[in-house]
Amino acid sequence: MNALRQSGDPFDALGDPNRRAIVERLKARPQSVGDIAESLPISRPAVSRHLRLLKNAGLVADVADGTRRLYRLHPDGAEAMRDFVQSVWGQALTRYRLVAENTSTRARTRAR
Amino acid sequence: MIEPLEVSLVVQCDAAHAFAVFTASTSLWWPVSHSVSRQPGLAVTFEPRTGGRIFERSPDGTEFDWGEITTWDPPKGLAYLWHLGVDRSLATEVRIEFVPLTADSTRVAITHSGWDRLGDLGPPRRDRNQRGWEGLLPHFVAACVRSAAQRGRDS
Repeated sequence: MNALRQSGDPFDALGDPNRRAIVERLKARPQSVGDIAESLPISRPAVSRHLRLLKNAGLVADVADGTRRLYRLHPDGAEAMRDFVQSVWGQALTRYRLVAENTSTRARTRAR
Repeated sequence: MIEPLEVSLVVQCDAAHAFAVFTASTSLWWPVSHSVSRQPGLAVTFEPRTGGRIFERSPDGTEFDWGEITTWDPPKGLAYLWHLGVDRSLATEVRIEFVPLTADSTRVAITHSGWDRLGDLGPPRRDRNQRGWEGLLPHFVAACVRSAAQRGRDS
């Protein structure tokens, strides 16, 4: 599961129209940076940047194909979402604890 | 099977207060970054009953549904369907229990399950993951388009 090496937000990753267009193309078949750049009005370096972001979010994986690299949708996309939600819970609950403990009647009574 | 997420923590307050902060003061602690509008000042509401909605209201008054309460049993716990950012048919399930430890400490135990449903949209068993993700994707993209359009209108 850790093979995902996910560090980005899948919601953010798909918040960009060019990245959504790339994902739509990868749905059809695995493609190289060059393949994608030919079918979109953006440069190869821009395609590479978008692919890196999609990969960091756990949505896209790359495989070697001879001398070039092919990109495809990550088979564990659902797990990428789970892992992302896990990090959201961690952040939310830290804040939840602060609010719960600082608004409790008993806590205020003790502090006096 | 994708294992459920299980998180638990102990808070220094009684169960009734822990339940109330979770469900009635959600706006104070839920990260704005994980919402549809992502606008500071948004309000999160749990309608306090079984069948109640969970929704976000952005400062301009637009509402976005996040889920639906399936069990409402204060102060012991609650359960809800959760579909923030994805289509409702892809909802996952959250169950939260508030277990009193002492008069002023409570264990909050969260189980977030149903991840396999995201890979369950009609794919053949043999390539379930890949096909499931492809089935999920249009919903996910549609939700992102909606929220991006919303942000565009608001800015």
